[in-house]
Amino acid sequence: MSKNKKEKKVRAVPVGIGILVFIVAFGAGVISKFTIQPSWAKEYSVEWSDEVGTLKADLSYGDGEANKFDLYLPKDSSRESYGLVVYLHAGGFTSGDKTDDRDTLAWLCSKGYVAAGINYTLRTETNTASVLSQSNEIKAAVPKVVEAAEAAGYPVDKMTVAGGSAGHCLAMIYAYRDGKDAPVPVVFTYGAVGPSCFVAEDWGVFGIGYDTDESRTAGAALFSVMSGESITPEEMQDGSYLEKMHAIAAAEWVQYNPVPTVVAYGTQDKVQPFLASLRLKAALEESGVDYKYFELPHSGHGLQNDNDIQRQWMEAVSEYLNQYMPTEAGGSK
Amino acid sequence: MSTTVKRIIILGVIIAVAFVLGRLAVRAALNMLLGGTLFGGNFL
Repeated sequence: MSKNKKEKKVRAVPVGIGILVFIVAFGAGVISKFTIQPSWAKEYSVEWSDEVGTLKADLSYGDGEANKFDLYLPKDSSRESYGLVVYLHAGGFTSGDKTDDRDTLAWLCSKGYVAAGINYTLRTETNTASVLSQSNEIKAAVPKVVEAAEAAGYPVDKMTVAGGSAGHCLAMIYAYRDGKDAPVPVVFTYGAVGPSCFVAEDWGVFGIGYDTDESRTAGAALFSVMSGESITPEEMQDGSYLEKMHAIAAAEWVQYNPVPTVVAYGTQDKVQPFLASLRLKAALEESGVDYKYFELPHSGHGLQNDNDIQRQWMEAVSEYLNQYMPTEAGGSK
Repeated sequence: MSTTVKRIIILGVIIAVAFVLGRLAVRAALNMLLGGTLFGGNFL
């Protein structure tokens, strides 16, 4: 072997090691992004165990296959009354399950609340489920949840309804539209990134709201699916579609039943329109109700880039839960 | 400074840069799916 070849081989070894180290460290960086959570986040998540309470799973509230709920009952069964927190799962109205929020529900249960995760019929290619039908299922489910809690020895005297994304949308509809018909007073609602109204010009992230036939056709298709009503491109043009969207436009119902609210939205959201959340904020402001609205300027639908504000949002949720549903309120039996 | 020390320092720099790039790559991918800015907010 010549001297030159030997020198090249000697140099190639550290370069090879360098490349290998780069790949391993890059992979570690990727994994760390998924696995390392901010320390404060652990305060709002509890691993379920018999020490936390009792779980009654898959209780039925209707004839539909998805009409099931899980009830998390706190360990302390000695109080005269309990606050109920219903938490609705995310998934774009087409996917997700009540068990996705098990750690959140366990956290709520560990705070002394009766907690419930409710499934609703998801939209598929073969059914006609809509946001309207899903919201009506939630409305039908809540009295059954309260009944089941009472039957288990946990009488409920007030409730909070919450959720994430699609679940947040349904939670807001229940609080503002159906809250007056609830079996117990709805005293608080919270959640994040749930679509709160359906004014086409806000929905630019979906290519809707532009002055073109294509945009109106897309808008009519999407809003028809969501509302469960047949909406035409012509109705998109003349604005009459808004009447058909009203039943699921939570922001439009705030004035009829303003409920204390804590919400968070990412200004860069590509999955649901941030602009719609500004209409919710205006409605809350106008109603005079006690509310907190958090805007995460660097984040999208996952609220993923603003840990400090996300922490403030969860602190506000905790503060409002303590204020509107103090766990010691019921006293002992 | 011996060659070994130099190589250790270079490897340290490579690890730090690669780790940061790995986290940035995830952030960029999530931003593409969900929306978000590449910089600002949380460090990485």
